[in-house]
Amino acid sequence: MIGGDGIWARWFRTLTCLFLLVWLSLPMVPLAIWSFAHGWFFPDILPQEWTLEAWRHALSDKSGVLDALWLTVGIALAATALSILIGVPAGRALGMHRFRGKAVVEIMIMAPIIVPGIAVVLGLHSVFIWMGLTNTVSGVILVHLIPTLPYVILVMAGVFANHDPAFEAQARSLGASAFQTFRCVTLPAILPGIIVGALFAFLVSWSQYILTLIIGGGRVATLPLVLFNFATSGRNDLTGAIGMLYILPGLLILLITARQLSGCAGAVGGLGRV
Amino acid sequence: MTGFCTFLACATLALLLPSKLVAGTTDDALLQMGWDEIVELARGGEVNWFMWGGSDEINQYVSDYIGGLLRDRYDIVLNRVGVSDTVEVVNLVLGEREAGNLDDGAVDLMWINGENFRTMLQGDLVFCGYPDLLPNNVLVDWDNPAIANDFGVPVNGCEVPWSTAQFAFAHNTALVAQPPRSIPELLVWIRENPGLFTYPAPPDFNGSVFVRHVFYHAAGGVETLPDAFDQTRFDDVAARTWRILNGIEPSLWREGQTYPATIAALDQLYANQEVAITFNYEPATIGIGIENGSLPPTTQGYAMTDGTIGNTNYTLIPFNSPNKAAAMVLQNLLLSPEAQIEKAQPGVWGAQPGIDMTQVKGPLRAAFDATERHPNVVPVEDLAETVLPELQAAWITAIEQGWIAHVGNN
Repeated sequence: MIGGDGIWARWFRTLTCLFLLVWLSLPMVPLAIWSFAHGWFFPDILPQEWTLEAWRHALSDKSGVLDALWLTVGIALAATALSILIGVPAGRALGMHRFRGKAVVEIMIMAPIIVPGIAVVLGLHSVFIWMGLTNTVSGVILVHLIPTLPYVILVMAGVFANHDPAFEAQARSLGASAFQTFRCVTLPAILPGIIVGALFAFLVSWSQYILTLIIGGGRVATLPLVLFNFATSGRNDLTGAIGMLYILPGLLILLITARQLSGCAGAVGGLGRV
Repeated sequence: MTGFCTFLACATLALLLPSKLVAGTTDDALLQMGWDEIVELARGGEVNWFMWGGSDEINQYVSDYIGGLLRDRYDIVLNRVGVSDTVEVVNLVLGEREAGNLDDGAVDLMWINGENFRTMLQGDLVFCGYPDLLPNNVLVDWDNPAIANDFGVPVNGCEVPWSTAQFAFAHNTALVAQPPRSIPELLVWIRENPGLFTYPAPPDFNGSVFVRHVFYHAAGGVETLPDAFDQTRFDDVAARTWRILNGIEPSLWREGQTYPATIAALDQLYANQEVAITFNYEPATIGIGIENGSLPPTTQGYAMTDGTIGNTNYTLIPFNSPNKAAAMVLQNLLLSPEAQIEKAQPGVWGAQPGIDMTQVKGPLRAAFDATERHPNVVPVEDLAETVLPELQAAWITAIEQGWIAHVGNN
């Protein structure tokens, strides 16, 4: 009903949008400034000396920051793919079928969201050692599935709850194979759900710290681990530069998927109409 | 679900098999070997060194300089694994032992001392008895009690020294022209300059050392404290220490209602001129901080006339390291005069050697003697006049817990 909106509604939309933008970007301003500063102390409003040193360090192949970036991308992509592979059938079962013990299964799936990772990570560590999966990238990918899966399954269960299987039956009755039915009927219907689920899975995996540290044994040095090293030691310049790099993929994915999802105003589409 | 389980089983097998094949040399066999055999065993392998990773200067020294030498001379790949706190590594090895991983741990070498060393010993997590095999071990002055004891715990061939450090203070010359140069003077200065001093809350490493200086002062000198922990003596001195610290609390930054949690937080307050004095167990940090812009250039390090506490930090091989030979080659390289001299350069790190440089002769010795301290870092001679020993770990734990109960939560 965009055409019917009054001037106040449009003003309101613009203001909330601006507010959201400021709210999201304000914390990044000091990070960005620090990443170019050589010392920035009170009471200076801006650093007295500017330098590219932190960025040079972050982007050099010696610091390992770029290696960590690619490793983090790889792990997050793998965890996302596996989450979708497991989450879509699971979501379909939960969204479309009623079965004995369904409530218990739902609670079990929700559990990793409710129980903080730090509370179970030592127990997980024992299990992973026993399976020989500690200190390996594959172990880290697997352990990331614990927090990513609930999001994907919940999103997909919601999508499938509104999915009418009659369309699939119709396609089959018209001679489509099971694969054709999935590709041409089911997939287009659930694709927005998959994108949202994948987005969640990627970002949740992207931001894991304690699970990666313990299961990866420090050997799997993802970007949050590198970032935390410098953040805790007070190197604001390096923290700023690595922090900006750390934000980048999430931002990129959000922008790309926002277009994909633009049934209603996405993050970018909405701005375009302001 | 079965498919997934099979995948796990296969992954498990695939990961377990090679490790069983690699871990062929037992510890006993290794200790019987000559140095050349150990070097040959280590050649072409890798070594995973877990260490505090918050300083890019130290990281670069380890990854580039040490890693480069290790690769060029021994064809060994050095994986430096940065952690935020060494206790994470202790817990990692402890977890491996509990889970029955006895010969294929993640950690081959760790940078350690003090309480973490004691925990490793108590948990039976340490590979011992090898330092005599390292050729450069002759340069280590094991007769020096400050080297042979790590915070009062005898090293007994379970660690190899890397650097020595001594606590030093630093003041912002733009705020304070004449800083207090002894603990009693400092306590008076704090009352006269309210809000300009604070210290990180123990168990922060540096905050804990500061509290120990006050504890020594309250005891009337560290020499009045027995080596072994003595509860009655502790109760007596601790009561006086808490009285002093609670007495200065209203004059601390934010009236002592809160304390910075870490040394990094104190340095941040100091850099923003909220407080005028900071300190560090590694005095060279001041020079590095000025050069990388995290501390103001008006910072000057200084020593206390009544002395400051010194310690030695070490490298240690966990009991379940799968690359012990490579770890020993790395330790031997770290002890070499050239690596120690490089580490002492102000632009590299500025850390004082863990070896006895008087044993080193010729051009290397001359190179070391020519090493300049960063002008803003307290001169080694100033510090060395009075080095106070560390207490045994039992004292330190009691002081830290006492501080939390009687000062922090008061």
